[in-house]
Amino acid sequence: MDTKTKLKHALADELNLPELKEATFDDDAPLFGQGLGLDSLDAVELVIVIQKHFGVEIKDMDESRSAFASINALAAYIDQRLAA
Amino acid sequence: MKPVRIHGIGVAGGFGTGRQAFEKALESGLPPPSLRVDLAALEAFQPARTLRRMDSFSRLALLGAHLALEDAGLEPKGQDGLGLIIASGHGATVTTAHALLDSMLAGDAFTSPIHFANSMHNACAANISLLMGATGPNLTVSQFDLSVPSALLTAHRWLREGRVERLLFGAVDEHSDLLEHLWRRQRGESQDPMRPLATRVESARPGEGAAFFLLSTKEETAPVYAAFESVTVGRGAPVIPSSPLRVLGADGRVELGKTYGAMAEGARIACFTPHYGSFPASPAFDMAAAALMLRRGHAFASPQGEANDTESTVLAADEALGTQGLSCLTWVPEGFGVVDLAISA
Repeated sequence: MDTKTKLKHALADELNLPELKEATFDDDAPLFGQGLGLDSLDAVELVIVIQKHFGVEIKDMDESRSAFASINALAAYIDQRLAA
Repeated sequence: MKPVRIHGIGVAGGFGTGRQAFEKALESGLPPPSLRVDLAALEAFQPARTLRRMDSFSRLALLGAHLALEDAGLEPKGQDGLGLIIASGHGATVTTAHALLDSMLAGDAFTSPIHFANSMHNACAANISLLMGATGPNLTVSQFDLSVPSALLTAHRWLREGRVERLLFGAVDEHSDLLEHLWRRQRGESQDPMRPLATRVESARPGEGAAFFLLSTKEETAPVYAAFESVTVGRGAPVIPSSPLRVLGADGRVELGKTYGAMAEGARIACFTPHYGSFPASPAFDMAAAALMLRRGHAFASPQGEANDTESTVLAADEALGTQGLSCLTWVPEGFGVVDLAISA
């Protein structure tokens, strides 16, 4: 399973967002605000889910801001960190 | 003092969802094959997105709350001044176990803030109050098997004191993998039907469910099911109620059989636990069944009533109750609870 698919499944299950598993979901849609509609509590949850499922720790707020832009951005960020 | 009356009943259990489903099961006298609750009915009341952060325990309670308000003809929003009291013996075991396991296995940094928030004692009551705009006081009472009578004692007092005029009282407990594991370790696995009135044999089966009631001292437009005469909670030897009509909370646990036998002595009794199973919130279902019987004026048949080995007479299906009230009895080694209900004038 590629990183993006694994990420979408993890977020769908942990954040109770079944729409992430739908084929029609736009992977470039913003995760926060308009788009998926996540908020600051979800941001904390996201950090934990990513560390738990991928072993990637997000500490830098500037990095996380761009990484949390969309599913595609987050998957790319995880791949980049895993390759480093 | 104004009487405290039951105007709405919202129940969800293995028998199905809603007061009508419960009444149908009671009339049939046939317990359901499964004692688990299907939460799908909640979608009719709340959009999935609203429920996203709510755990299964809160969802189960929310379903009961919606059903009770609907039964009372009240809107599930803008309930200014509505009080809320929830009774639960186990609480949110699925969420709490999840949060604790994450913390123990991976460290505090891995504990989900959403699971942690939902594992808080009063989280479920807070969720319901927020969604329904219930601005009255809210409280969660946990006293294991005596949670229902203990919480009801407070609910009754709030209403009698005029602290609130309307109150949503609910009892909820969910089954979980953790509880199933503990149940099997303690009691083994039984496929036999529950025979709670056969007091010398073990026949308990774990259940789950939510039973909510709209209680009020106001003149409501919704019909009255029953009124409260008294609520008693105590320790030591149980107070045997004066009413000869009793609904026993016996649930097939053999260690409780002897005392339930003593409570039944010389009385006309009923016991409905096979419809919902054994769990700490089940006395609220006893109360729902008693209130429904009082309103219709006739008894429901007790499942497996023919197995009765107590010195008592089991009420027959459709037997007339007369004008007497009903006492709902809960007894465990830690204490007892007696809820006396009367036909409302």
